[in-house]
Amino acid sequence: MSEVCPAYAPFFGFAGVAASMVFSTVGAALGTSKAGIGIAGLGTFKPELIMKSLIPVVMSGIIAVYGLVVSVLIAGGLDPSKDYTLFAGFIHLGAGLACGFTGLAAGYAIGYVGDSCVRAYIYESRVFVSMVLILIFAEVLGLYGLIVALIMNTKATEARCP
Amino acid sequence: MSEQAKPANITDQAAKGGVLTKLILFSLSLGIIPISSYFLSERYVWNGNSNYAAITAVFAANVVLVTYIILSILEDKSPASVPPDVPKDTKKKQ
Repeated sequence: MSEVCPAYAPFFGFAGVAASMVFSTVGAALGTSKAGIGIAGLGTFKPELIMKSLIPVVMSGIIAVYGLVVSVLIAGGLDPSKDYTLFAGFIHLGAGLACGFTGLAAGYAIGYVGDSCVRAYIYESRVFVSMVLILIFAEVLGLYGLIVALIMNTKATEARCP
Repeated sequence: MSEQAKPANITDQAAKGGVLTKLILFSLSLGIIPISSYFLSERYVWNGNSNYAAITAVFAANVVLVTYIILSILEDKSPASVPPDVPKDTKKKQ
């Protein structure tokens, strides 16, 4: 094994795969649970609004899907029969961390916004449009992380072992 | 409270069956559609380019989300045409 392609390089690659899935799932769980508290509060007063109030939960699910897609993408680039440079390992780790932590941030935002806006939706129905807008802005935080992970991943296949 | 709750219960039970099916359908599609679109588009559409496949999967997930939002808005609009009963008005006046 050389210095450019050490034996421990796949550690970083797989750490990127795990980080992407784990942290975005933590974000999605934060979003789902916090929004679920508000939805339970809304459900006791106005059960007919439950379908609309579940939008934060669906958006949290999408954050977890972003993490899943990046995990699958990075794992697809890991092949034991091919050269795997330390450079590629660091790229995969960075991509996984980028997607994971932005998913965590997005899920956190979706949770708090979903909780408060869903509770306010009981009293004022025009809050719905602003809730969807704020949730979309919170969601694109996770999307930015995914885009950065994709851009980083395109560079991982260019390095070769000497 | 029980007189005002009865019309709400009838509409709730009428809507409950449909709402649960819709939610189950959306949960399954949110899990199945993005990842299947990733693998299918990677193999058949983009000739192995996994980045384009990832973008396709993200696009598919957002399509499911937008469909859910539109469906929830449409579902809310149709029962809104039912006029409120008189007992509910007296409850509000209290």
